[in-house]
Amino acid sequence: MKHSGLLLVAASSACLLASAAAATRPQYGGTLRCAMQSAVMSLDPATDAGAGDADRANLAALLYDTLVREDEQGRIQPGLAASWQSEPGNQRWQFRLRPGVKFHDGSVVTADAVAASLRVADPGWKVIAASDSVIIELRSPDPELAAELAESRNAITKRGGGGDAIGTGPFKVGAWEPGKRLTVNANDVYWNGRPFLDSIQIELGVSSRDQLVALELGRTDVVELLPDQARRAALEGYPIVSSSPVELVGLRFGREAQSASEGALREGLSLSIDRGTMRDVLLQGFGEPAGSLLPNWLTGYGFVFDPKFDLAAAREKRAESLAPARWTVSYDGTDPTARILAERVALNAQDAGILLHASTAPSADLRMVRVSISSEDPQVAAQKLSQSLGLGNADAIHSEEDCFRFEAEILGSHRVIPLLFLPRVYGLSSAVRGWSQDRLGTWRPASVWLARKGG
Amino acid sequence: MRYHRHERLPEDAVYNAPIHRMTDSSPRFLVWGTVLIVSLFFRGLAFSAINPWTATEQEFAQKIAAALGPGPVAVEFVNRSSLTAKDADDVRSGVLSQLARLGVQAGRSDPAGAQVRVSISENVRSYVLVAEIRRAAAPAAFIIVSCPREEASGLSKVDPPLVLRRTPLWTQAQPILDAALFEDNSGGSHLLVLGPEAVSVYRFEGGQWRAAQSLAIKHDAPWPRDLRGRLILHVDQRLNVFLPGVLCAGTHGVVWTLECASSDDPWPLSPEAAPRAFFAPTRDFFTGVLSPGIGKISSTAKFYSAASIPRLNAALWLFSATDGRMHLVDGTTDQTAFWKWGSDLASLRSSCGGGTQVLATQAEDDGVDSVRAYEFPDRDPVPVSAPLEFTGSITALWTESNGNAGLAVTRNWKTGNYEAFRLTVSCGQ
Repeated sequence: MKHSGLLLVAASSACLLASAAAATRPQYGGTLRCAMQSAVMSLDPATDAGAGDADRANLAALLYDTLVREDEQGRIQPGLAASWQSEPGNQRWQFRLRPGVKFHDGSVVTADAVAASLRVADPGWKVIAASDSVIIELRSPDPELAAELAESRNAITKRGGGGDAIGTGPFKVGAWEPGKRLTVNANDVYWNGRPFLDSIQIELGVSSRDQLVALELGRTDVVELLPDQARRAALEGYPIVSSSPVELVGLRFGREAQSASEGALREGLSLSIDRGTMRDVLLQGFGEPAGSLLPNWLTGYGFVFDPKFDLAAAREKRAESLAPARWTVSYDGTDPTARILAERVALNAQDAGILLHASTAPSADLRMVRVSISSEDPQVAAQKLSQSLGLGNADAIHSEEDCFRFEAEILGSHRVIPLLFLPRVYGLSSAVRGWSQDRLGTWRPASVWLARKGG
Repeated sequence: MRYHRHERLPEDAVYNAPIHRMTDSSPRFLVWGTVLIVSLFFRGLAFSAINPWTATEQEFAQKIAAALGPGPVAVEFVNRSSLTAKDADDVRSGVLSQLARLGVQAGRSDPAGAQVRVSISENVRSYVLVAEIRRAAAPAAFIIVSCPREEASGLSKVDPPLVLRRTPLWTQAQPILDAALFEDNSGGSHLLVLGPEAVSVYRFEGGQWRAAQSLAIKHDAPWPRDLRGRLILHVDQRLNVFLPGVLCAGTHGVVWTLECASSDDPWPLSPEAAPRAFFAPTRDFFTGVLSPGIGKISSTAKFYSAASIPRLNAALWLFSATDGRMHLVDGTTDQTAFWKWGSDLASLRSSCGGGTQVLATQAEDDGVDSVRAYEFPDRDPVPVSAPLEFTGSITALWTESNGNAGLAVTRNWKTGNYEAFRLTVSCGQ
């Protein structure tokens, strides 16, 4: 299937692609070759190895299962737990385990094993193994516990002899070189049906340029694409799949504003940024201008925080501020998107009379951050975002209004200036069929299969 | 919140295969009557259901009224959601009505008065009502209330015309593969329950079913996982039991007999004689080979169950294939469709609607297994009943021998017991 333009690219959502592929009967066998920019150092879902959360979530989806999962509508569906119930008050939850599931080492998934795994995932939970169930008792009510358990960091694992995490997922680890490559093989006894693919090879730490070259040379089947690459790959006829906008790109100040005057200057910086042009020109139409911390598709109230571009107002703020209008913004030098956005922010700020120097040096007044949305549940996503950005305790977020207040407070204090929400974009080789990913862009590898030549 | 899902899983690992049927051989007491209570409980729930938007509109209006107090206010509505203009207008009317009830008069206010801008928005899970309240010098205040999509989806719903009813027949701890009711010549009622090792016969006496006889099923090879079986009562008092690789024949009524032997004879698919289909002896599905064929079609994909819909010239057959698709066979073509149904189908005759309804299993949004009746004006299913939900996974769905009812077996996820229900369709509400 040849795409002739970017409009078609945007339309080729994961769901559409999956349904199109369903018209042909799937074929078993073959090896899928993928490339990833992150040099993931650990496959253990319970540890934070510093690499991108979304990339680790994709690897976790190969190897591990969670008790429950979120479907395309954000609804909680059974995973390793076949059913569950919470007692009134949502402080005590019982999850009944699916019988007969085995870890990759052949041992049966027991309530004891699940309880041990969950205790590692969150030491704050009191987890009790009870026959075919696990019971989680919380210090305080949490109606969103099921959504939290769907996150990959709460995947169910068993510790092997060397402390390695052993999972129950559709694929088993075949070979693992941290930061370089991972080979996984099909789990023939996977409880949810053996994957079609025999194996998947993932090259890690591959630059975006090298990924696209590998796709064009037929050396790989799935690559991550930058916006300009996506246009090129689409014009060359490669299928492109895109998630919802799931990554917040923003500016995070290193400290609180010390005065109202500094707050006004930060507001001036925000008003000076032309997010629309960033999206339309620099990102070639990918992404959405961001005025909020969480995207509107997730919260439904994001439109309230309209990202304004008002150079005159920005200059007024600059003029009324007594604070020094000289800052340094740092960005990840290995990230081409961060570089072009940081440079554009600096240019916009200059138009408002604010001197902003873009640099890759680690010490700076503010830094460009990219944070992936980790859950389709707004409250869970807000809590995780707060942790990722170091914004303090967000445990009190239990409703949409709590989320709204959290965002309003952060944005009002100008600790974070949102810029854009970006989707995760992948380019596929023509052999890839049945590609499926959730709204957050996390792979669903068990349904992927490879068309043989002529197929 | 409770979730449970079931679809049948073939033993040889099918792609995207759903969840294994749970098995439990631990002995349990017979719990006769539980299913009736459960049934009544769910009916009660259905009758007590209210429009979820009403509660949302009430909560939203109360919060606005608490912020503003009684008096005139200018209210503006913007629909930012996927709701239709009509549905959005219904929500608008609901909110205004609730505001009026609380003394907030929507209309013009003086320039210094309060202004409320209500946005009907949405996120991935819910519809979201956002009120932005502005008063002269005060900073804007925001009120946010959401209404879950699943609950709100009935906004423009039209009630389906037919009612699917269940009558509880039997409950036991051991698996039930099929069950059948019949009356003998003297008017005595009998219930036959097919299990993996025997056909149990019960006679209705003194207001309850009493065990009358047990007809053993002899088989040499171990049963495959997800065992399936059919119990066929013929009008001439012959009795047949079909199990994977085994056929039993006997008599019912005055003399009860049953003799079993290894056999690969095809199973009946409907009360009518033809077609029959071969069942894979070590699996839980039909091989797809039909005997005789349907018109020119002698085989279709491997399938779990089938249902027929009478047509003027030739019946349209539906086959629930093991790959999740539906095959529509009309004697000359074998077309596929994907309707997100479960694995089990059955058809029954009734005096309602088009006269024939197809019963299909499905998993509801909340994970509960259900059966729903459909009709086929053409080749696409039209739901004609509300989903009939069960408190467990559906493990069997067959058409009764006389074709007038369906037989559903579920495994109750609370008790672990298997429960057999007779399903019938009645006209109107």
